[in-house]
Amino acid sequence: MTRLLQIGITFIIINLSFGYLIYPDLIYKLTHTAHWELVMCHALFQLFLIWIFMKGLSYFPQKDVVDIYLKIGRWLAFLFFIPFVINLIMIVAFNIRVHTEVIISIFLPRTPIWAILILLFFISAYTATKGIGTILRCSVFISILVIPLVVFNIFSSSVNFDLHNVSQVMDLPIHSWLDIKFFYLLGLSPFLFLGFMTSETNLTFRKLIVPWISVTLFFLSVVYIPLFIFGQETVVRLTNPFVEAMDSVDISWFSFNRQTVFFGVSLVGLVIFANAVILWMVGQVAKKISEWRVIKPSHWIIGASVLSFMFALIVPNKTLIEKYFLWSIGAQTVFMVITPFIIFIYGYLSERDVLGYEE
Amino acid sequence: MKNNGFKLLIGFMTMVLLSGCWDIKDIDKRALPLVMGISKENEEDYKVTLQIPIPQEDNKLSRTVTESGETVASVLGQLRTNFEDAIDYSQLRLIVIQNNLANNHQELKKFIKFLMVSEDIPSRALVTITDDNVEDVLSNINEKLGVHASSIFDFFNKGAGWAPEIFSIPIWKVYRSLYSYTKDIAVPVVRSGKETVLTFQGAAILKHGKIMGTIGPDESQLVNVFRNNNEKGRIESLGFASIIVTNSSLQNKTSMKNNSPVVSSNLRLKIYILERKEGIKNKRIIKELEKLTEKRFYRLLKRTQGSHIDIFGFGQQFHQQISYHELKDWRNEYYPKLKVKFKVDADLE
Repeated sequence: MTRLLQIGITFIIINLSFGYLIYPDLIYKLTHTAHWELVMCHALFQLFLIWIFMKGLSYFPQKDVVDIYLKIGRWLAFLFFIPFVINLIMIVAFNIRVHTEVIISIFLPRTPIWAILILLFFISAYTATKGIGTILRCSVFISILVIPLVVFNIFSSSVNFDLHNVSQVMDLPIHSWLDIKFFYLLGLSPFLFLGFMTSETNLTFRKLIVPWISVTLFFLSVVYIPLFIFGQETVVRLTNPFVEAMDSVDISWFSFNRQTVFFGVSLVGLVIFANAVILWMVGQVAKKISEWRVIKPSHWIIGASVLSFMFALIVPNKTLIEKYFLWSIGAQTVFMVITPFIIFIYGYLSERDVLGYEE
Repeated sequence: MKNNGFKLLIGFMTMVLLSGCWDIKDIDKRALPLVMGISKENEEDYKVTLQIPIPQEDNKLSRTVTESGETVASVLGQLRTNFEDAIDYSQLRLIVIQNNLANNHQELKKFIKFLMVSEDIPSRALVTITDDNVEDVLSNINEKLGVHASSIFDFFNKGAGWAPEIFSIPIWKVYRSLYSYTKDIAVPVVRSGKETVLTFQGAAILKHGKIMGTIGPDESQLVNVFRNNNEKGRIESLGFASIIVTNSSLQNKTSMKNNSPVVSSNLRLKIYILERKEGIKNKRIIKELEKLTEKRFYRLLKRTQGSHIDIFGFGQQFHQQISYHELKDWRNEYYPKLKVKFKVDADLE
């Protein structure tokens, strides 16, 4: 039961970490009106994919995604997981870099980028090498630190709300679904890591409903807080609408007189945790599909994080970072759509015993 | 054993590398400006004045520094270079803009965008415009006896010396009004006073960063009511009596009739009579107050409708009735046709 709770919290934290910075921008560029309909579309699609994924995984008790792929065929596992791992390394690199830029702009204006990158990479990689048990226990700890701050931020920013700023509650323009940006949105709500944790517990779809609801509420708040404060016309012109929204709140009795600092601190916690999980996934995949047993998963993790640290350091400026981050997120979406279906179809077929060579 | 030594080494290295203790400027080595004044000098250069409180007992001392240059960013950089301590702009609370900069609408727009994008300057610092020389406004405080170094800001601060006529408009609200389809903004105008630090002159109406006119204290009070600010504490003189408003609330109902917007708004005032001439009945005072407020409102509405400025922000309330793309033309198409039924209900406490 504790495991399930921890996995639920992990799901929430990872979605929080991806949702804060790019998500509202994409939504505002997609539609001028009825933002909630778009958020709900995205969330329901995510729920649908999770359902398929969980259904597929339930055909193979005590097995994780890598085991299942290896069972289908070694060549398929290679074909799928090599680009997958490269993509994960890219996501770690650009995700940490995007967050570093924001952290610098919030409260470390004089610290060089590499120093913050080393700090974030070091802690993420360290957590990842300690294995899944540590990560899951860590999730509870981080949620105790961060979730109250997130809730506080939501409530305190309500002093600047002008509810009239939102135009037209209904009537979402159809073309916004077909936009490439909607595709990116999906990549910002990752769930594939769930497939790596099933070998330890009997995770079922029903137990993910509550985390899914809280994540959806969070996405709504991330989109609507800047919207209520600034209005659609202004919000599309801001580089980080959510950070600006936090910065607009003036609470004179609060420490440092600004809550943005606390928002920045919670971002650090979130990004470290999310990347620890991703690096751990890299380690799992490498351990299971490589033939050299001499190399321990922790070595793979260290190698991957050094590689992605390089990538994060190389990219010269902010615009390129965001572009590359979106590209890697787009690639992640492809994996997120393909994997559940492959696993589901294979599971369905092997249960029907259509595949003759089944053991 | 060898392995443990290695781990220990890494542990110590992280303490050195990850503590983040470089480039730290201690708080006593920093200067924290509270107010920034800006003006144009001989058409081209910007002149920036900072008021920096000196932290000593009583907090009554402050100094001003001035520098000019081609761009605002370069001036701020120069100030940083020339000042003895490290200047930290993160505690800036008020921006005073002289009218020679504010009247040039391109310049003002550029400046507001700079303030919003700048990472040092917090976007919740308040904005005000002055007709006086900025340097005089900021240094005026030093000549007054017994005045706090923070009193220029306190004038606008809701937690301190704020009065219901005064707007407190932060940078982000001015920035928002540069783009808003349906709402214009009024920025307070002040002068340096003879006996007080500042005197309130009224407000300048900004439409997309362009000053479209000014309104007096009485009218700005009315605008504040529509901004959901309570009118509490306002003193009104009717000639034969004076009253103080103890509470107020406003209700708006919106509808569309034949493609033209209609608002009926109802202002409820709770009042308390401070003084009156002999023989004047309560009823007459209430009637007169209602009439005066309504007259003041209709006059301002007519004036702003003529120049297409939605100072009350009525357009905000039509976001549900009019589609987003049509709202773009709110000021020119719909607002001049807007009908407002404004009714005041005053009541004795």
